[in-house]
Amino acid sequence: MGLRGAGIERGRPLRFFFDGTPIDAFAGESVASALLAAGVRSLRASPRAGAPRATFCWMGICQECTVVADGVRRPACRTEVRDGMIVLTGTVP
Amino acid sequence: MSRETDVVVVGGGPAGVEAALAAAAQGLRVTVLDEAPQAGGQVYRAPPHAFGGTIQRDADPIGVALRQRLAASSVVTCFEHAVWSVSPGFRVDALAPDGPASWTARAVVVATGAQERVVPFPGWTRPGVIGLAGTTIMLKSQGMLPGERTLVAGQGPLLLAVAVGILKAGGQVAGVVDLASPADWAREWRALASRPRLTARGAGWRARLLRAGVPFLYRHAVQAVEEVPGGLRVLLTRVDRHGAPTKKVAREYLVDALAVGNGLTASTDITRLLRAAHHYDALRGGWVPTLDAEFRSSLPGLYVAGDAAGLAGADAAVADGILTGLTVARDLGAMTDTAYRGAIGSLRRRARRARSFGTAMARLMAIRPAHVAAIPAETIVCRCEDVTRAEIDAARSEGAQTANQVKAWTRCGMGPCQGRICGDIVGALLAAGEAPREPVGYFTGRTPLRPLPLNLLAGDVEYTSLKLPPPAPL
Amino acid sequence: MTPGLAQETVDVDVAVVGAGAMGATVALHLARGGMRTALVDRGEICREASGVNAGTLTLHMTRAALIPYAMKGRELWLTTERWLGMDVVARSAPGLSLAFTPAERDMLEKRAEARTAMGAPIRILTPAEACRIEPGLNASLLAAAFCELDGHVTAYLTGRAYRQALRAAGVAIIERMAVEQIDRLGQGYRVRGARQVVRARRVVLAGGVWLETMLAWLGLRVPVKCLINQLVVTERMRPVMRSVVGIASGLLSLKQFENGTVLIGGGWQGLGDPVRGGVQAVPENLIGNIQLARHAIPALGETRVVRIWLGLESETADAMPMIGALPGLDEAYVIGCVHSGYTSAPYMGRLLADRILGREPEMPLFDPTRLVQAAPNAVEEMT
Ligand SMILES: Cc1cc2nc3c(=O)[nH]c(=O)nc-3n(C[C@H](O)[C@H](O)[C@H](O)COP(=O)(O)OP(=O)(O)OC[C@H]3O[C@@H](n4cnc5c(N)ncnc54)[C@H](O)[C@@H]3O)c2cc1C
Ligand SMILES: Cc1cc2nc3c(=O)[nH]c(=O)nc-3n(C[C@H](O)[C@H](O)[C@H](O)COP(=O)(O)OP(=O)(O)OC[C@H]3O[C@@H](n4cnc5c(N)ncnc54)[C@H](O)[C@@H]3O)c2cc1C
Ligand code: FES
Repeated sequence: MGLRGAGIERGRPLRFFFDGTPIDAFAGESVASALLAAGVRSLRASPRAGAPRATFCWMGICQECTVVADGVRRPACRTEVRDGMIVLTGTVP
Repeated sequence: MSRETDVVVVGGGPAGVEAALAAAAQGLRVTVLDEAPQAGGQVYRAPPHAFGGTIQRDADPIGVALRQRLAASSVVTCFEHAVWSVSPGFRVDALAPDGPASWTARAVVVATGAQERVVPFPGWTRPGVIGLAGTTIMLKSQGMLPGERTLVAGQGPLLLAVAVGILKAGGQVAGVVDLASPADWAREWRALASRPRLTARGAGWRARLLRAGVPFLYRHAVQAVEEVPGGLRVLLTRVDRHGAPTKKVAREYLVDALAVGNGLTASTDITRLLRAAHHYDALRGGWVPTLDAEFRSSLPGLYVAGDAAGLAGADAAVADGILTGLTVARDLGAMTDTAYRGAIGSLRRRARRARSFGTAMARLMAIRPAHVAAIPAETIVCRCEDVTRAEIDAARSEGAQTANQVKAWTRCGMGPCQGRICGDIVGALLAAGEAPREPVGYFTGRTPLRPLPLNLLAGDVEYTSLKLPPPAPL
Repeated sequence: MTPGLAQETVDVDVAVVGAGAMGATVALHLARGGMRTALVDRGEICREASGVNAGTLTLHMTRAALIPYAMKGRELWLTTERWLGMDVVARSAPGLSLAFTPAERDMLEKRAEARTAMGAPIRILTPAEACRIEPGLNASLLAAAFCELDGHVTAYLTGRAYRQALRAAGVAIIERMAVEQIDRLGQGYRVRGARQVVRARRVVLAGGVWLETMLAWLGLRVPVKCLINQLVVTERMRPVMRSVVGIASGLLSLKQFENGTVLIGGGWQGLGDPVRGGVQAVPENLIGNIQLARHAIPALGETRVVRIWLGLESETADAMPMIGALPGLDEAYVIGCVHSGYTSAPYMGRLLADRILGREPEMPLFDPTRLVQAAPNAVEEMT
């Protein structure tokens, strides 16, 4: 189970997409959890240095985990995954 | 249209829920708003409904009871509602998943808790470096490990909680790195002894970690994190009594995650927004609203309970929450003075005891000026805008003296987090050492309290139905 | 003030009270003109209107009569490295003012005509022409007024730029000290604050919305209206616009900075006053402002609002500036209440400095005498 805690019953399996790649997850997980479990280390690049960034505060404050989920920019740690959800990196070109 | 109620409580943690229940019990109409999906706050963060029995059974019984009492009460609850504005009078605006919503209320209780503080070091922005408090959330509410092998570093009681949580979830703890010394912990013995249950739990955690062979490094801090094939290399250095690190690398760890935190700061978004009086209290998490003995802020009708009033811990949040709810009830005329006096006596004592424990923990989490002073020049301080310490120092030497001025000159604190992560560190850098924080001030509080997706806020409207003010003069 | 702590006294040729763009510009040119100059602010240099404004260099929103001044000011902003010594990220950009309804189109045409008469090179475009200039526009527009002379400055850098220029020019900068009173001396003035006293031969009042209070110190009653302007900024987003976009009514001003953030303004009002500052945004006014912005540039819907703030803008009874010598007083001057005052401040300030230095200003000033409601109370002469 990798980073998913041992012995924890999760919700039903589902699948969403991150930058086009299918990602398997479980109902109740946040986009941030599901991506971390799937080995996605970077969610976006920082604006000036272009350095990789990912979750930091897990409470919707730091905005480091910002992604575009079904067309809306929002913190991945505060977004619950849904079957078929289209998630894109939060990097601003 | 705004919904009308007597009291809006912002935050459904222990402080907010207790305040709401206490006020509602006196017959007031109370609404609790929280951006989380369920009540419980940070400490009793609930696992998602979709998760099965195991994690639900393991959830803290105090939190479970809190949610049950709330559900059985007359309190109206709105979860997944992020409050983005509170206007005097009061009007409270929130963004729900389906768009904006607002309330008018005679009183507002701010129970927004606390948030992460990390003293920056080179590499702290790398993926895999996660806040210590944030790690408790991953563990509790998502059953997620930060990494296969995690180093736990920083200050205060969360170190043990996180390390044990990782072990329980089947992860590996490479070590626990504490800025404090065993003597610093021992100094708090009196407060610890006042809460035997919590102290015993802490001792049990420590024993469990030692049994698992987890090394404890006292008086050490993270010097830097480097990305290497297969993970992160964490360089540790010794620190002196004041928290000042030495230059020499004392130890290196190869891990895939680092959970690191230097205490918490009070979430003062709403009180700063409303221009309530604040003062700096290093031992309670930095700038905190100035309250009277009954939790009234300097703005009539605005009350603050729990960690948002200054760090005091979960037990104090409960007692202070009840007291705040009662004060609101009395101020709004739902309770006689005599009834109020009768109700608060024993609560006051309970609150004092709880606070003394919380304050001891907060002392262990207090920022050490020497630690901040040693941040290397090229280290990013403002993560949102990639502003380094060198840039802040340059502004300072050009004459910038206040937090807001540095912000204007460097963009530090202007990004999506609005200085919530870097604010206290910027203040410490500008005050330099033990100097008072008052002249430096804090980033002005403004709406929105969370970034607002523009489409959700604007909704679907026809141009011709927009309500426009009269044209500007020619 | 701590009792017993002696107030320091500074002796200068001129004291400028208020270090917004107006006061700072006047001080800079006076010092460069050879006067010993003190600049006093209760806060920091350009941290009120002059540091928090939208930084639009537009002629579309400038009062017609002030267009010649704004054009000069705009030129100065675009060349700050030359006279201020620092880039404030000022950029020239095309300016468009839009009309989405027939009524707006009429207003647009009338207003463009009035401004053109004052020298602004504005012409009316078809929707297709406008969309060629600004592909991000909502194509449902009916008409647009176009002006090549537009652009924007990054207002929050103003204080940093002025500060080093003022220092280099030798201005005595006194920050974080509110002036509490000005006394007339036999010759000159005594400007008093908690920490310091500035004795000056001349005094210039440049207090923005606080001018009404300042003028009262000298016994002059001039009502100054205070507007509480709301601004909204988004997080960084992909490039969605390259021009400065407004609307016929003036209720929108929109631009994207190089860093990708978009600033949304238009004079929507918040709550506040000169005593408390701009304290609270009105949620409906935020929503109205962004609805209008997204209508003009639909791609804005993709981004998030990260901050809303309020700044105080001053206006006189006739909405025209007051710049010049104060009636009945010797060597006392005022500058302020200029519409689009940020744009024109570098020029307005220079005009007043010229006048004080005994040079003929290039364009006429705006005599404050017309605004004085009561004759100056006889101010006690002090020694
Ligand atoms: C991340 C984190 C983890 C912690 N872990 C522990 C722990 O394991 N053990 C422990 O003893 N203490 C822990 N603490 C400290 C503990 O949270 C507090 O002592 C206690 O929970 C305070 O209770 P409270 O009700 O004041 O605030 P909280 O419990 O923090 O509750 C505040 C609530 O307000 C909500 N909120 C905040 N801002 C808004 C807004 N703008 N709109 C809507 N809702 C909002 C939040 O979602 C949250 O639910 C932790 C603190 C943090 C920040
Ligand atoms: C939100 C907003 C947006 C705007 N957008 C634009 C725009 O896009 N383009 C444009 O051209 N113009 C714009 N304006 C107008 C422009 O900002 C102002 O006209 C201009 O900045 C005014 O400059 P000032 O120096 O007169 O006033 P201010 O910058 O307000 O300076 C007055 C100074 O006086 C000081 N002061 C007050 N009392 C005392 C005291 N007792 N002692 C000492 N000092 C004191 C204050 O601290 C302050 O620094 C905008 C204004 C606002 C508020
Ligand atoms: S990790 Fe900080 S907002 Fe999601």
